[in-house]
Amino acid sequence: MIRRYHVVAIPIRMVVNNFGDHNPDGQMYVLKENEEKVKELIRKNPFTPVELVQPLTIRANEGDTVEILFENQLPFAAGMHFQDLDYNVLTSDGANVGFNPSSLAECGEKLLYRLEATFEGICFFTDVGNISSTEEGSSIQGLFGTLLVERRGSWWTDPVTGGPVNSGVFADIHHPFLPSFREYAWFFHDEMEVDDLTGNRPINAMTNQEAESFHGVNYRYEPLHNRLKLVEEGVVSPEVEGEEVHHDSWMFGDPATPILRGYRDDPAVIRLIHAAAKETHVFHYHAHQWLRDPSNVQSEFVDAQAISPQSHYSIQPLYGLGSLPGTIGDVIIHCHLYPHFEAGMWGLNRIFDTLQDGSQCYPNGTPIAPLQPLPDRPAPPRPTKERPGFPNFIPGKVGCKAPRPPLGIVGGRDMTELEKNVAVPNARPGAVFTDPCMNNSVVEEFNISVIELPIVYNKQGWYDPKGRIYVRDEDLDDVLSGKKEPEPLVLHVAANTCIRVNFTNRLPHILDGDAFQLVTRTYETAFHIHFVKFDVLVADGANVGWNYDSSVLPNETIRYEYFAETELKAFFVHDHLFPVSHQQHGIFGTIVVQPRFSQFLDSKTGEETDKGAEITVHNPLIPDYRDFALFVQDFAFLFDKDGCPIQPPQFPGSPDDPGIFAVNYKNEPLQFRLGKDCDPAYSFSSYVNGDPITPVFQAYEGDSIRIRLLQGAHEESHSFNVHGLRWRSERPSNDSQIRSQQHIGISESFTFEIDIPRAGDYLWAFETEEDVWNGTWGLIRAYDQEVEDLIPLSDRPLPAPRTRPLPEVTGKPPAPADPQSTLPPEAAHNAPIRRYSVVAFQTPILYNSFGDHDPFGIVFALEEDVEDILYGKKNPEPLVLRGNSGDLVEVTLTSRLKFELFPFPDGIHPYPPVKEQAFYPPSLRISLFVNMLDYDVTTSSGSTVGFNPDQTVGPGETITYRWHVQDAMGTCAMWDLADLRNHRSFGTFGAFIAEPRFTTYHDPYTLEPVRTGTNVILNNPFGSLYREFVLIMHDGVRLEDKHGKVIIDPIDGVIPEPDPEDDEVDTYDFGSRGFNYRTERLINRFRKHPVLGDLFSSEVHGDPATPVFEAYPGDPVVIRLTTPSERRRAHTFHLHGHNWKFDPRDIESRIDSYTGHMVAGVTEDLLLIGGAGGTYNYPGDYMYRAGNIRWDIEQGMWGIMRVHSKVQPHLPPLSH
Amino acid sequence: MTSSRSASYSHNVMHDMALVDYFRASIGQRAFILTPSYPFMFIGEIISLVGDQVELAVETTHFAQLENRNWLIHIDNIEVFYIEFPGDPRIPELNDML
Repeated sequence: MIRRYHVVAIPIRMVVNNFGDHNPDGQMYVLKENEEKVKELIRKNPFTPVELVQPLTIRANEGDTVEILFENQLPFAAGMHFQDLDYNVLTSDGANVGFNPSSLAECGEKLLYRLEATFEGICFFTDVGNISSTEEGSSIQGLFGTLLVERRGSWWTDPVTGGPVNSGVFADIHHPFLPSFREYAWFFHDEMEVDDLTGNRPINAMTNQEAESFHGVNYRYEPLHNRLKLVEEGVVSPEVEGEEVHHDSWMFGDPATPILRGYRDDPAVIRLIHAAAKETHVFHYHAHQWLRDPSNVQSEFVDAQAISPQSHYSIQPLYGLGSLPGTIGDVIIHCHLYPHFEAGMWGLNRIFDTLQDGSQCYPNGTPIAPLQPLPDRPAPPRPTKERPGFPNFIPGKVGCKAPRPPLGIVGGRDMTELEKNVAVPNARPGAVFTDPCMNNSVVEEFNISVIELPIVYNKQGWYDPKGRIYVRDEDLDDVLSGKKEPEPLVLHVAANTCIRVNFTNRLPHILDGDAFQLVTRTYETAFHIHFVKFDVLVADGANVGWNYDSSVLPNETIRYEYFAETELKAFFVHDHLFPVSHQQHGIFGTIVVQPRFSQFLDSKTGEETDKGAEITVHNPLIPDYRDFALFVQDFAFLFDKDGCPIQPPQFPGSPDDPGIFAVNYKNEPLQFRLGKDCDPAYSFSSYVNGDPITPVFQAYEGDSIRIRLLQGAHEESHSFNVHGLRWRSERPSNDSQIRSQQHIGISESFTFEIDIPRAGDYLWAFETEEDVWNGTWGLIRAYDQEVEDLIPLSDRPLPAPRTRPLPEVTGKPPAPADPQSTLPPEAAHNAPIRRYSVVAFQTPILYNSFGDHDPFGIVFALEEDVEDILYGKKNPEPLVLRGNSGDLVEVTLTSRLKFELFPFPDGIHPYPPVKEQAFYPPSLRISLFVNMLDYDVTTSSGSTVGFNPDQTVGPGETITYRWHVQDAMGTCAMWDLADLRNHRSFGTFGAFIAEPRFTTYHDPYTLEPVRTGTNVILNNPFGSLYREFVLIMHDGVRLEDKHGKVIIDPIDGVIPEPDPEDDEVDTYDFGSRGFNYRTERLINRFRKHPVLGDLFSSEVHGDPATPVFEAYPGDPVVIRLTTPSERRRAHTFHLHGHNWKFDPRDIESRIDSYTGHMVAGVTEDLLLIGGAGGTYNYPGDYMYRAGNIRWDIEQGMWGIMRVHSKVQPHLPPLSH
Repeated sequence: MTSSRSASYSHNVMHDMALVDYFRASIGQRAFILTPSYPFMFIGEIISLVGDQVELAVETTHFAQLENRNWLIHIDNIEVFYIEFPGDPRIPELNDML
């Protein structure tokens, strides 16, 4: 079937909320049939939002051909580039790439895109004609939308009228034999231009400084600073502080942001899209959970999901709206990054229990629009006077804060008559309008308080004078008297438990002011929970929409009830009333829902316990394990021992990246671990510096462990890596891929099941440069002999009695490791040996033809290539090593580093910057760490950590690591760990590719066997020939231009020119970026030929310096993608015109054309569906690139995959 | 061709019959059964055999809501089982209050 849409790109004034905030220079796609209507509505409503002003959402069915007549009314060449669809790249790419003809339309022109909707799901589209990261760029200003591909045979209707719809973010989707469902398109986007009513940038009423930039949903945002004005002017209840009522509809009426409406138990899908442009957000949807991969029933449950720019996920809440207990009310959906949440990035899911036919009103008199029941579900009952339905049974007062829930507060009120009519028969505190706990469940009751106390974070005395934490009431005295060290609250319950919490607010009314914050009256708090089932009206621990305010005043106690119906991993708990103000002081914790029938033991004494970040779990059915919980934090507001603030913001109350980093209220900065010799190579060594103050988890060799990974605060992405251990990425599935790295954003929760193969010290680290520099690392220590303070697991052999003393701090570097003395734990004794001789040395690296270069490059190369590189015959590329499954790989590493070739011999590395700059001279030692492979961590991990021997080498020294390729896992990342500060961003990284057994590797041009290279042909007797393209996506590079001037990216790369007032560049945004030691910074092209639409054209500019990979139509292609280096800003990778399985090992997994969360340590294997040219094998030039408009593409993160239509003399075809 | 098919058929029949016989001989004993499909685990007393289905008085499964009732489990769906006879190692007592 052919579906046709006529789409127009228009300039438009977008009013983004009811306060008249607007974008005067908005741009959007609209259907031609709505163009005049929307323009007329905007003319008539210059200060209020117009519903038709929304990201264009059109629909088609699987198998349809979609023809889009695109008309451009914008003053630059623009187009529509579609992700996930199949198309002829020469005519329908919506771009102007390489030697393709342009498929952009000039102003006033029309052109036709023809697209094949092959797969169900989200097909995001955006303009790539104007990729400026400024307010002159199209994506920033709103030029994006989506084509939603439904199951074959579907049709869709308007949820209000029941009539047909041609476009719209909300629709009800129907199918002849599948259930109807509500479909909601939800576009996160950030950094859009926005002015207030007066035409000026909005002001934050608390700080009187410019407000945080736009962070919104579907061209709307509802920031706190606007609503606060109504409080300050006395329009609404003036006694409140502000943050606690930000989402309260009783106070302010409904927000301008989307309200996703449905009835209890309706099936629903949220089409979550991150349209633009910069930040990796975390989507969180209260009271609901979904599968991370909706097509794979064995994927992980999540209820918070990080999403990078130009990425998208389908969120299909399990059990439908209201989840398992069928809760009703307002369920908030928001970006969990607190500064974004406060800036307005939130909306509601409103679940009604009575029929809405247009006859009802909200309590403030606003009519409730009709909502058609889904045709295959029973219609909800009509509202009556006795049962008026949500929200009209709640005894609130318009203009005042929401009322407290009935029964919840100890000593509080009973139910009103109206409430009684709606309540469940056994209504009780914390479970009034639905019964979350099913029959048969065991009840566990916890008494928890929130308190304020000073917390010391490290050995140097850095401290938070206003630490705020959750604590069990039984531990109050011990924690306050200093007998117990404060740690994040970690409780353990078994699945099938009904959890009751009595929560007492013991905080002072006031959060005092200092260099970081202004005085805030944080007078009420709560205990908000993730994952579990509960009555969202009364137990959300929040104040949302027309719900109750389920928080509590000082010295009062509120009761909540939740149900953990099955093993749910670690669920996040935090305050939801003043989290922006005080969560970064420590108000977070977790309750771990362990397997049913588990028993929890103190790992030291063996006594039963139900709390602690490190415990031992015994279960009669499954193997026992150690359970470790880690919370990473940013925005930690610390003072040094002399009382000076550490990294305060420009002004108190600024959300602009204040404070420092920590884990579990501790940090161990590298600047304090130089030792006597001042050599960074031993920063992680316990011999030199003792153990870190951060967690050193304990186990015996062979033990199973579970790591509960959470992020407690506050705004940023982090990259968790464990050296020498690995886990399955989808824990319920045996087919899923192996990982030893995980990106995390606030409120996400991950569980990693790991076996520790051998005794030794394993480094865990949040390993982007600035994080690890400031101390976000620690150890997992596995013993081979008995120690006093660790009980053995009951189902493991007893550890051998101790015959050797435990190692001690000597202050001296450890002895060199002897990798030849041991085999990797899983290696066979007769494994085939593959040998590489690798040299680390300094050499300039030319990054592009414009002369951008790194004069101080440090690279790894095979010994046979060193001379050619040093003599300039070869421009170096990152080292790629390969091995086959079963191989024992012996890598001999030699250091030829020279002190005089380092740029900053005084030990201060000024650019790219990190927080808490300090003396840290370059190390002449170097190492090679590889993730995921099997090796003895004490000899071959390249990590001189804890009490492991030295695995680095100094000038002239060598070490031969032994790595075992235990499986054909694909891409593994490699980097140096001897000096993360002075080496890695100069090029000390690469990739190891674990290939299937019997594979040989060949040069794609000569077909000769090769030992390294980023572009090879793989030949395997059991598989076809493959082209393998290795892309190393890296950032944080210090480049100089051809005149020797340091390039300050991203600012120096902004097109057409940077905003002189731009203060949005965080420390971790600095540095240049690219692929494989190359970057095609667009500013260089723009200066030569200032036409935005031609920037990617090889006709105009020639091919880019970044790799141009070549193939023929249909050639099997695998892209090996990794980001071994190094900054915290997460990138998205996207390849035009191609799709791949999200998890290449799992046939059930979803299909994507992008991969998000690219931060240090990520590894991906992209097996292109249909091979080169996509499903239909179209020849042409396909752009691969970052998805971050701000600031990656401009800065050179792009290249080309060229699919030739005819055989080229230089490129032999793959013989089949 | 025909004979090899019938041979494999008879092997399957023999395999199924052996299982059915074994479970029938174990009526009244407690069994521990793992299945690849929901709810994955059963512990309870074998009540009877209904054709090639085992009737089990289920005292414990993975999910408490599905306990304390009789289940019919097809023997083809039994991946792992253990039947506890007097004197054999005991199936663990599973208790939520542990």
